[in-house]
Parts: sequence; C-alpha cells; structure tokens
Amino acid sequence: MIEISNLTFDYPGHRALDDVSLTVQSGSVTALVGPNGAGKTTLMRCIAGLETPLSGSILVNGIDVNEKPREVHRLMGYLSDFFGLYQDLTVGQCLEYAAESQGLPSTVVHDAIMLTARQLELSDRLQQVSGSLSRGQRQRLAIGQAIIHGPKVLLLDEPASGLDPEARANLASLFRHLQTIGMTLLVSSHILAELDEYSTHILSLRNGRVLENRALSGSYPAISHRRIRLKLSLADLRLADWLGNRPEAILIKADEKDAEFDFHGDLTAQSKLLRELIAASFQVTSFSEQKENLQQSYLQSVSTMPEPKYS
Amino acid sequence: MNPEFKRNLWLVFTPQRLIVTPILLALVFASVAMFNKIDFVNNLYGLARIMFVFIVWFWGLRSANSSITNELRDKTWDQQRMCALQPWAMTWGKLFGATAFEWYAGLICLIVAGIFGWMAQGSSAIVNLLTLVSIAILIHALSIALNLHTSQFESRAIQQGGVGWFGLFILFIIWSVSAKWFAFESIDWWGMAFPAAYFLLFGGLLFACCAVFSAWRSMSNALQVRTIPWAWPLFAIVLAVYMAGFVSDTNSLYVFFTTALLVAVAMTYIALITEPTGLLVWQRLKRRQELGDWRGWLERLPLWPTTLLLAFAFALLASFNLTGWIGTPSLNLFFGLAPLGVALMLLRDVCVFLFFTLAPNAKRTFSSALFYLIVIDLLLPFLAQIAGLNYLRYLLLPVDLMNPWNGVFIMLIHAGIAFGLFCWRLRLRLRLRSELNTNFS
Repeated sequence: MIEISNLTFDYPGHRALDDVSLTVQSGSVTALVGPNGAGKTTLMRCIAGLETPLSGSILVNGIDVNEKPREVHRLMGYLSDFFGLYQDLTVGQCLEYAAESQGLPSTVVHDAIMLTARQLELSDRLQQVSGSLSRGQRQRLAIGQAIIHGPKVLLLDEPASGLDPEARANLASLFRHLQTIGMTLLVSSHILAELDEYSTHILSLRNGRVLENRALSGSYPAISHRRIRLKLSLADLRLADWLGNRPEAILIKADEKDAEFDFHGDLTAQSKLLRELIAASFQVTSFSEQKENLQQSYLQSVSTMPEPKYS
Repeated sequence: MNPEFKRNLWLVFTPQRLIVTPILLALVFASVAMFNKIDFVNNLYGLARIMFVFIVWFWGLRSANSSITNELRDKTWDQQRMCALQPWAMTWGKLFGATAFEWYAGLICLIVAGIFGWMAQGSSAIVNLLTLVSIAILIHALSIALNLHTSQFESRAIQQGGVGWFGLFILFIIWSVSAKWFAFESIDWWGMAFPAAYFLLFGGLLFACCAVFSAWRSMSNALQVRTIPWAWPLFAIVLAVYMAGFVSDTNSLYVFFTTALLVAVAMTYIALITEPTGLLVWQRLKRRQELGDWRGWLERLPLWPTTLLLAFAFALLASFNLTGWIGTPSLNLFFGLAPLGVALMLLRDVCVFLFFTLAPNAKRTFSSALFYLIVIDLLLPFLAQIAGLNYLRYLLLPVDLMNPWNGVFIMLIHAGIAFGLFCWRLRLRLRLRSELNTNFS
C-alpha cells in the first residue's frame, strides 16, 4: 500500500530522514517506533504530502505523493500529534465539514456522519460543542474527521498520548475494527505496550534511518511462520522427540510438559498438527500462538544495530 | 454550498447577532437623523460611510487575518491542507466567510449610504461606495495572501497574530492618496484626464483583483497545487504600468522602463527578505537540476530571482534610451546612478544577503544579513560623507548626479565581488552537506 524509496528529508542543519526505503503492506497495522527525533513525525508528514522531501519517492496505492499529493489525500486520513478541532462547532458540524471538504457528495454526507459517529461512539454527542468534549472524545472526533471519507490508509501520530487506560482500550478496539474493514494503519507511539495490542508489523526508526521493518510473529492469521506454545496436563517423555521429528516445527525449548516452537505452515497445517498431537495421546491443555512482544523486539533491534557515525 | 464558507457562517453568525446588529445600527442612524433634522441626508450619508469603513475595513481586516492565523494556532491547518477543496473555493470561502458578519453589518451601512448618498450626490455617491467596497476586498485578500506567504517559513509571525497589520499600512497609503485625489476634479494618467472618483474606483478594483489573485496563488501553494513563479513578475509589470502613468514626463517609454526598474528592485527586496533563502532552497534546486526536472525546478524557485531578472531587463531597456535619461530629470534625481548601476547594486545586495543567510552554524542569519546590508548601503557611505572622504563615499556608493554612468563600473566591481563570495559559500556549503551525507551513510 505504501512504498518508499530512498527518501531523504533535511531540516536546516539536520537530516531528519536519510535514504529511507520501506514498504507497508495493505491491510496491516504498522507500529512506527523510535526515540524522540528519530524521524517518525517527519516520515508521516512526508507520506501525507504535507512536507516535500529533498529526494526519494513515496507511492501510496501506486500514486506518487510528490507528484500528485492531492490525489493521495483522497486515499488518506491523517491525525497529527498535536491535532486541533473547531472548538465552537458541534460534533455534527465538525464531521459535516470534514465530509464535505473531503469532497463527499451531499447525498451521502448524512449517512457518512451517522456511520462515523457510530463507529466512534459519538452518536449521542452530535449536538455537543467539540470544545466541551473529554480528551478521549476529542481524540475520537479527530479520528472521525480523518476517516469520514473512507480512506484506504490512516496515519496516526501518537494517537493515544494523554488518554486514560479506558480511552486507550477503546482506541485499540477501534483500530482493530478499522483493520478488519480493510484499512491500512500506520501508528506511531512511544508506548509500545499499547501498540502491542493491535499491531501486525513493526517499523523501527532511529536517527532518520530504518532499523527494522517486518511482520510481528503471531500477528497475522495468514502468516506462514509463528511461535506456538504447547502445554500438557500429564508429563510425557516423548514430547521433545515427537516435535523434533516434525519438519514444520523448529523446537525452541521443550520438557515433558511444556514446549515452545516456531511453526512453519498455514492454519490448516497448524490444525492438523494439533489433531495429530491428540491422536498420539498427548494430554494437550493449551496450544496457543505466542504474539511477539513489541517492546522486546524493539529493544533487541536497537541493541543489535550499530550507531550511525557522524562527522 | 462551499464547505469553508458554510463553516465560517456557522462560526460567525448566531441568531442573536443576526437580530441585534440591524437594530443597533438602526438606532445609531435614527439618533443621528433626529439630532440634525435639517441636514440629515448628508449626515447619514457621511456616518454610514464612516461606519462601513470601521466595520468592514478595520474589523473585517482583523477577521480576515484570523482566518489563517487561527487555523495555524488551533492546529487545524493540516486538515485543511489535506482537504479536497480547490484553492479558489478555499480562498473565497475564507475571504467572504471569515468576514461574513462584517459584510452583513457593512451591507446595512451601504444601503443607508446608497439611499442618502443618491439623494445628496447622485450617481457619484454610488461610485464612491463601490470604491470603498473594492478597497475592503483588497485589504482582506491582501491579509490572507500575506499570512499564507509568511506561514510557509515564519511560524513566529503567525503565532504573534499574523502580518495582517500590514494591511493597515496599505490602508494608510490608500487613505492618504485618495484624500489627496478627491481634492482634484480629474487625475492625469498616461496623458489622459480621468474623473478622480472613477479613477479611484478603477485603482481599487484593479488592486482588489490583484490581491484576490495573490491570495488564490498563495492558497494554491498551501494546498499543494504547485505553481511556477510567473505571477510575481507580471504583477511588477502591472504595478509599473499603473505607476508610470502618473509621471508627467515627455518620454513615456523611458518613464515606463525606469519606473518598472524601480518597482522590480523594490519587489526583489521584499521577496528576498520574506522568503526562505537557506541552504535547503539551493539543495532542492540542485536536486531538481540533477534530475533534469525543470518544471519542478521552477516550482521550487523563490520569487526574488524573477524580479531580479526583470530589473536587469528594464535596466537594459532604459539604458538604450539615453535621450530619455536627459529628458527625465525627476527620475534622474531619483537615482543619481544609471539604470544598469541600479540593477547591479540590487545584484550586489542580493548576493550579500544570501552570503550571510548561508553562513554555517549561525543563528539569526536573517537579522545579520539585514544588518550588513544596512551597513553597506547606508551607514558606511554616510560615515564617509560626513568625514569628508568623498572619494571613499563614491567608491562605496557611486551616486553622481552630474554623470550617473560613471558609477556603473564601480557597481560592476561591487556586484562581481559579492557574486563571487556568494558562489564560493554556496559551493562550500553544498559540498560539506554532501560529504556529511556520505559519512552519515
């Protein structure tokens, strides 16, 4: 959905993005992580066509952002880290303005407002002035404005900053919902535990360069590689050897009651393995995919990558 | 309805405002009419015009200014920049939407002024009112254009309330000029006599159109509809044609060329100090040049080189008309320097300014550059003059009213040195940047 090649962006006296190349898969939720000043916001603003890079290209759904930024805007929603709302307008008016200014035909504006308000649990607030909303509600309204035209890509810069735990949980649930309806999300945040809940991919930046860009194991239903944890209610000495002989399983650790292995195969193959375990009289009590911990992955990638050298 | 216009109507109109405003205005007009029943027609005409000026010109200027600064201050500007509205729709939505309440009150004043003006002065009152309307549109559009232009690079000016105050300065000029012109029956322009009121209306409409056009072009850039810089030099030519019409000298072609030179010089300075001139601009141009993307190169070109080139073109055209030089004492006195010398002086100042704004690791490069320009152009020649060092003063500022052409050679040396320094620093900075990137990678 997003393809970036050799993107370089300079601020006066400072290179914010240095020869960045990456792809973001369609339908994914990519966690954009990195320390302050890594270039996360600049990258998002370049993708949104709000900043013009020094060099490089950005394609969104095959359209070059630098050449046709306004066409890309039709496919995109963007929520900046310091977003604003029209404080004196009602929620309904804010959504109506967003829908009409995004070029939705007047015949569908009302339905779009109702649908968006329902998705964001703002239906009962349509007549309320946006300046009187809580922080979480304001955040949801801002996201509503960004998605009312049904974009294919949603860019969210620190969307959960300043939210209480309940509002964060609601936001995570909203992002999962948006992913299920086919939207591609790129979400930056400092709070990795929060991204853990809904991210399928990690994109890690440091000093304007990509440290890592990959799918998180256990996050994609169709992915061919994931980590599985197996627990037995009764100890069985055969477990390690039985799993070790399976070509689709690479054993990480195992004893008589527990095992952890990387499984290579689709969901049908995974289901077949479980059936065979039971058929082989293993007393299986748990057979679950282990989602990769984002924080650990990030810290690991940071520790293994060398510091860029400056002169 | 234009969504931006509608949004502004939501913000500025309340039922209370809609009802109370006409009642208040009616009370004011009624009390003035009752105060002097003998001359109430003229009184009401005068009062309605004054109220229009205060409400639409001054209060409207504040609202037009806020139409951009509030978006930036309240962080809603990104949303607007990413919307699907065409630049023209966004421009008129803001121009007439943000000032809709002032126009509502102003329209009531106009109706009163129209009725009583017609009774007092006939059709000339209508011409006068149309002039007031055109000037209102001019300053509102100018405020939007200036704020959009400034917001590209100078966020502090926007945070401090925008540059709409500049509209007040323009208003002051218009007020001074129009007050003077109204004293005349007619205005001579390009050898023809025009009724003063009609000529003011023509000027108001012309510059209102230019300001609206300028706001639309600035909005286009803000909304990522890229443009190449032809409108700025074209406006310089329009302004030169307008201004040259007032110079009552015999050689009209020479007058036009020299006036156009002056206008181009002034507009180059204005563009130079209001646009980004740092290394990034040159990096982007170099990159487009390397890619052979000449349209992209023109889209990224600042405005000042266009009027700099225009200044040289007009300086050369004026130089070919030496008889005009002799026959145009008013312009001769203006320069004390041949037209080509003026263009070379401009080139020197541009290079000096760029040399300092490209300084590495320097803070406040803009103010430093401006300071050095003032020192070179004014302070050093002034000090040399009062110290009696006339030769040194002549070398610094070769103004010679008797023989202006002598200064061209000195200015050529000045410009050559400044251009060399600028090229040296630009090459050095671009090379250092390129080496830094190589090491970084």
